[in-house]
Formats: sequence, structure tokens, C-alpha cells
Amino acid sequence: MSFFGWFNKKKSGEVAKDRLMMMLEYERASTKINNIDEMKKDIIEVIKKYVQVKDVNIKNHSNQDFEALELEIILDK
Amino acid sequence: MGQIITITSGKGGVGKSTTTANIATALAKYGKKVVAVDFDIGLRNLDMILGLENRIVYDVVDVMEGNCNLAQAIIKDKRVTNLHFIPASQTKDKNILNKEKVKKLLEDLKKEFEYILVDSPAGIESGFEHSIFLADRAIIVTTPEISAVRDADRVIGIIDSKSQKAIDGEEVEKHIIINRIKPDLVERGDMLAIEDVLHILSLPLVGVVPDTEEIVSSTNLGEPIVHNEKSLAGEAFRRIAKRIDGEEIPLLDLKSNNGFFAKLKGLFK
Repeated sequence: MSFFGWFNKKKSGEVAKDRLMMMLEYERASTKINNIDEMKKDIIEVIKKYVQVKDVNIKNHSNQDFEALELEIILDK
Repeated sequence: MGQIITITSGKGGVGKSTTTANIATALAKYGKKVVAVDFDIGLRNLDMILGLENRIVYDVVDVMEGNCNLAQAIIKDKRVTNLHFIPASQTKDKNILNKEKVKKLLEDLKKEFEYILVDSPAGIESGFEHSIFLADRAIIVTTPEISAVRDADRVIGIIDSKSQKAIDGEEVEKHIIINRIKPDLVERGDMLAIEDVLHILSLPLVGVVPDTEEIVSSTNLGEPIVHNEKSLAGEAFRRIAKRIDGEEIPLLDLKSNNGFFAKLKGLFK
């Protein structure tokens, strides 16, 4: 590791926080929706009418004020 | 009518039973009529932390199965008047609880006690669901570790979907306790900080408990740490109990600013 890398190294507590937040974005969506796979299939069916879609990712964002589902639509090239 | 407060965590081993024992003891010391109920069927634990293991005759499943009446299963602590305890059963099948029986038991307890503290089992299976089903409030215990916080987050989601209050369109009041904090590690940046955990779980904090060795000896002796007036962890739990009871007192200040390095750092600030 370079000299500067050593200085810029994130503390392990901060790494823990980042890892947790990434993981929970996915997990929260799956606890919120009972049959997330079915919903995914339905969404893909609808989008397919308009564009060729490869996959859909569902994430959950929330804080004390709002809660949102984020859909990431991956198109088929 | 009493309040049902369920103490839960998701992950095992974060200090649920210790927390239950200490909050129950502290509330009783402040004159509240309290009963702590161990819902961890098959894995009895709370009895030893409270130091009441030698007084058990009947347990929570005996009451629900009608093998004894409620009064027979309630153990009165001789050191702290007002503190009562119902042990978990040890030998029976953990799937023995059913919603109707749990409801009857908790409603009967509500008539007699001001606080009913339910020590939930770890995990998210039926035992947990029963312990959360009728809760008025939930206290989620976590440690500042990624696995514990992750499980706490899952459990919070489930409380919101499985409790009677949630079904009725109301909300279970939820609070976080962060247990086993090591202030020096947090200061060094090698432990999730209190703010990080709260930001992630987005729930209010009811208390922070430092990691101290005294907890180990208090468990060894079967004397909850709140009895120890000098202990920092004891003070943390006493404050938590007061806050639960509606008193507005500040959290325990855990910033370690009396060490040599802290002082040295202070000079350069």
C-alpha cells in the first residue's frame, strides 16, 4: 500500500457502516414485499411491452421522513 | 392496565436477557409492579440472571396448558419487592405456544402488573412472533456489530407486520438499546458509532450500555448489575428504566475523555 493510501484508509467502523447500508437496501425491499419475485416478474412483463428488458432490481430507501422503492431496469442490448 | 414491553434483537447473544433482567429490576426498585416473562421456550435463561433458578416450580407453559394457575407460576423476588418472574419451560416442544393461549396469559398479567417485560427468543420464528404479537412497545437490543444491526433491521420490519397493533393500523412504539459499546474503539474509528447505528435503523434510542467486566460477575452471582450503584453499566440500565417510565433524563455519556491519549489529543484541538 502506498504512503498516501495508508493515510486515506477508511477506518473499519466506517467500512462496517457502508457495508451495512448497502446490504440493507436490498434486504428491506424483500421484507417489505411478501412476494418480491412475483412482483419482479409482473414488472418485467409490463416493461416488455415497450422495451426489451433483461432484469429488474428492487431496492428500498428509507429514513425517518420518507420511504421509497427504487427500480433499476436493466435493458437487453 | 399494564404495558407489554417486548425485548427482542434478532441475533442471539447480544444481551437480551441481561437487558430484560436489569430493566425489570430497576423498574421494580422505582416502585413499579413488574413481571418479567421468559418466552425463550426450551432455553431457559432469565432465571439465572435474576438469581431465581432455585425457586421454580411451574413455568409459562404450565400456565398456558392449565397445569397450574397463574399465581402459582409467578415467582416473587425476595430482595426486590414488586419484582416478579415467570420462567420459560425447558423440556417441552417450543412450538407448544399458540396465539390464543399467549393472549390469555398476557391479558391476565396486564390486569395485575404495571409493566410486563417479555424476553423474546432470538430468531424470527414462532416463539419470536408470539412474544411480539401483543406488544405495546418493543425494545430492540443490538450491539455495534454489522451482524447484530443487520438482524435488528430485519426484526424491526417483522414487528411492523406481525404485531396486533400493526394489524389494527396502529404502531408498536419501538426503541433501540445499543449494548456493549467500547468507547475507546469508537473513538479510534474501529467500531460503529451510536449515530451510525441510529441512522441505519432510523429509530429513537432509549439507552446505551458500555461493555464492562462487571456484567460478567453480576451474571455469575445472579444479581442484576442495577443493584451495583458504582457500576457504569448499572447506571446505564437505571437510566434506561427511568426513560422507559417516561422520565426525561439524558443518556449516559460514554465519551472517554479522561485517558492519557484523549488528553494529549485535546491539547492539539
